[in-house]
Amino acid sequence: MSQAAAPPVLCVAPSRALVDEKITVLVENLPPGSPVTVRSHHHSDDQDDWEAYAHYVSDHRGVVSVSDDMSFGGTYSGVEPMGLLWSLRPVPGSRTGLRLRKKNVCTPLLFHISVHSGHEGFRERPPLASALIERWYVAPGVQRIDVSERGVRGTLFLPPGPGPFPGVLDMWGGGGGLHEYRAALLACHGYVALALEYFKPGELKSTDLEYSYFETAFNLIQEHPRVMADRVGILGLSLGSSLALSLAAESKTVQPRACICIGSNHCSGRSLSGSPMVLITNPEGMRVDENNHHIWRDMALSILEDESKLVDVGKMSCPLMVVNGADDQNWPSTEMADDITRRMRAAGKEHLLTRLEYPDAGHLIEPPFSPHFRATNFMVPGRQKVILLWGGQTKPHSDAQEDSWRKILSFLQQHLYGNQCPKAKL
Amino acid sequence: MLRVRKIQQHTVLKLIQCFTLQRRQTSLHHAVGAVQWLSRNRPAPLLTAAPVRAIVDEPISIKGQFLPPYSPVTLCARLHCEDGDLWEAFAHYNTKADGTVNLTRDHSVGGSYLGCEPMGLFWGLRPYGEREGPRLRKKNIETSYVVHISLWDGHVSPSERPSTELAAVTAERWFMAPGVRRIEIRQNGIVGTLFLPPGPGLFPAMLDLWGVGGGLPEYRSALFASRGYASLSLAYMKHIDLPGPFHCLTVGDSYFKSAFQLLQEHHQVCADRVGIIGLSYGVYLTLRIATQFGVKPSCLICVNGPAVNIMKSTGGDSRTQDSDSDPQYWTYDHQGYVTFKEVSRLHNICPGSRLKLENITCPLMYILGEDDLNTSSVESVNLIEETLRAAGKSHLFTCLSYPGAGHLIEPPYTPLARTSLWRVKPIKMMVAWGGHVSPHAAAQEDAWRNIQEFMENNLRQ
Repeated sequence: MSQAAAPPVLCVAPSRALVDEKITVLVENLPPGSPVTVRSHHHSDDQDDWEAYAHYVSDHRGVVSVSDDMSFGGTYSGVEPMGLLWSLRPVPGSRTGLRLRKKNVCTPLLFHISVHSGHEGFRERPPLASALIERWYVAPGVQRIDVSERGVRGTLFLPPGPGPFPGVLDMWGGGGGLHEYRAALLACHGYVALALEYFKPGELKSTDLEYSYFETAFNLIQEHPRVMADRVGILGLSLGSSLALSLAAESKTVQPRACICIGSNHCSGRSLSGSPMVLITNPEGMRVDENNHHIWRDMALSILEDESKLVDVGKMSCPLMVVNGADDQNWPSTEMADDITRRMRAAGKEHLLTRLEYPDAGHLIEPPFSPHFRATNFMVPGRQKVILLWGGQTKPHSDAQEDSWRKILSFLQQHLYGNQCPKAKL
Repeated sequence: MLRVRKIQQHTVLKLIQCFTLQRRQTSLHHAVGAVQWLSRNRPAPLLTAAPVRAIVDEPISIKGQFLPPYSPVTLCARLHCEDGDLWEAFAHYNTKADGTVNLTRDHSVGGSYLGCEPMGLFWGLRPYGEREGPRLRKKNIETSYVVHISLWDGHVSPSERPSTELAAVTAERWFMAPGVRRIEIRQNGIVGTLFLPPGPGLFPAMLDLWGVGGGLPEYRSALFASRGYASLSLAYMKHIDLPGPFHCLTVGDSYFKSAFQLLQEHHQVCADRVGIIGLSYGVYLTLRIATQFGVKPSCLICVNGPAVNIMKSTGGDSRTQDSDSDPQYWTYDHQGYVTFKEVSRLHNICPGSRLKLENITCPLMYILGEDDLNTSSVESVNLIEETLRAAGKSHLFTCLSYPGAGHLIEPPYTPLARTSLWRVKPIKMMVAWGGHVSPHAAAQEDAWRNIQEFMENNLRQ
């Protein structure tokens, strides 16, 4: 029977996934050897539009498989199964300095994936086929609980089931505010996780947070009836990393089972009002790049020469994972990680340390398949806005996010679920 | 607040210890095992399901880790359907040396199913409510089934519940993929629901016909749309929006022809890529549309239905005075369940109700359950096959015959209804559909795969 050619078919699976799960994107029923562009589009909660796209050529069967085929250009090139997600960037004409961070984790991120004919000017042509996918930070059954107890503010995520579960205290950095998405994702992997808010954006200098705030937060997790009190770890990024190390090495009351620091920072977090944030008023060492983006990494170098400003990491008694990007422009994380390593070696604690340094990755090493942000808006104390350079090149930074997350989960599982003691180093 | 909860937890542990004195021997063992588990300095085992939100025809992978090695465990699935009934399945496993259990690898040694059955917890669901003869059929397909999957210590059955649940995970089962559009059709007298895949189209399409149970089951069409086909579920009987007496087939040939053409003429449908699927009486309607109306479907899928008219029609078309087939052919088994199989026996049908099957011009796939107690499917298959062979059209015909499968061959991983409640008035009747749980589940899975491939070959190439 003679029929008109069947239209192309786009299949993206799974259509509903967690944000750290991979997808396959398959286009079929194309004419053989035809150039097409595959595009993903996301309209954020902040009403910004983000897109990624890649140019492909179908094979002799008329198939394009994003997992197997090479992209000839676009927002990524080469064989990149997840490129349509991690290479996402604001569409031309968007506001500057944007960062994509989901505030409401109870709804999914929606992505429209579409196939267009040709390479150049693909946007001018209507799509040949399209699909809609959901990506979630929470799994069904994960409970979200607002925490406002004993002065501690945050959000607790509980996995489904009776427990008891290991716990994680999850802390972000000097931007402040309450960011739930990483804690929510940890709950999907079997951890009771507390996303902690410790100051509002732009208010760090006026905040007089005491060390005890963080100890209380840690205790709150331990005391939850579905948590095993001796299996609570800490995960901190940037300023959160400094707090994590302070607690782990120097607290008398808090003994984490394991500690993970992203954007290695072992400045003493003992009193936040004496924190590195005060360096902003010190122009020495602060540079800007050709776009007037602030580079802060050199400002903190002098701290390494002042013992009193550093956490005594030699006192650590729990396994420690230190993650940083070698192209970190916001913080001298390589130098800091080197110093942490030296100190732990000197204290005979090197066997506790796992160090992951990623070439050409920047400061913001986030959960996998998140877009890379080389520079974004940031609110400094006094509620002024600047654009901070975080660093990193998109492809290696995305590889770092994917690899580090897998290793973070494996590290947490080994130390919080397993019963092994850290082995001696070779 | 937190301290109060902690005391309650200790109290629960003490209660479990007290209860051991009053339980039966086997339960005592399980309860003590649970207390021992809780008092070990270990977190609970980790139970995962992936993907945790899946389309109903997608298999998922269920795993448990951080369990003791070589230990008995029970996996249990629970679902509350829209009517409020509880459905449950369970299976007994033994963990491996590394303390894991993996339903895609391991064998069940007891419970709702045996052997290596990754999806057994879904197709093995049984009803545990008060209602007699329920079927698990989703009415609102815009929401998911929520399945609570749990892991228990020892080999237990859900009704005993002697020990504590060790771990749990929640899975969602969806009939509609994101972006699929559901459109109610009430035009030109047609009563149906159209499902369109996301995107501009043009899409190949299916007309979706069920049996004389009537109403408007949407779930199969929703699944087709989730796989890229426009699909129209068509009501033709026992629907409030249809004309005439509720229990009669009051719509005639023009109704079915209009429905097929509505699909063809939709601006997002490829007019020359429209197929028809029918189950039970829907098979007769499928064949009637394909042979009498001058429309040209691209393919036909027939599931366990008669090739002849089993209803007493009025006039020359499909309309009937009442919905019942001829009661003289109803038979009753030892439990009083009625089977309608004799109704569709060829020697019980008057010759005038036969169709001109030789007029079929497109590929036809017949899905046959060999334990079908509702329709004389084997005779129907033979009739179609002989007629097409005599017309030199054997190459159009494929039959997939499944031993142990019953009448209701539905989308995969859905539980078998071997019997169900047929009606309550004028008297309560339970109908026997046939099928045995395990072979029927295998048939549904294989048939669905073949249906997808058949549609792909005939509607997409």
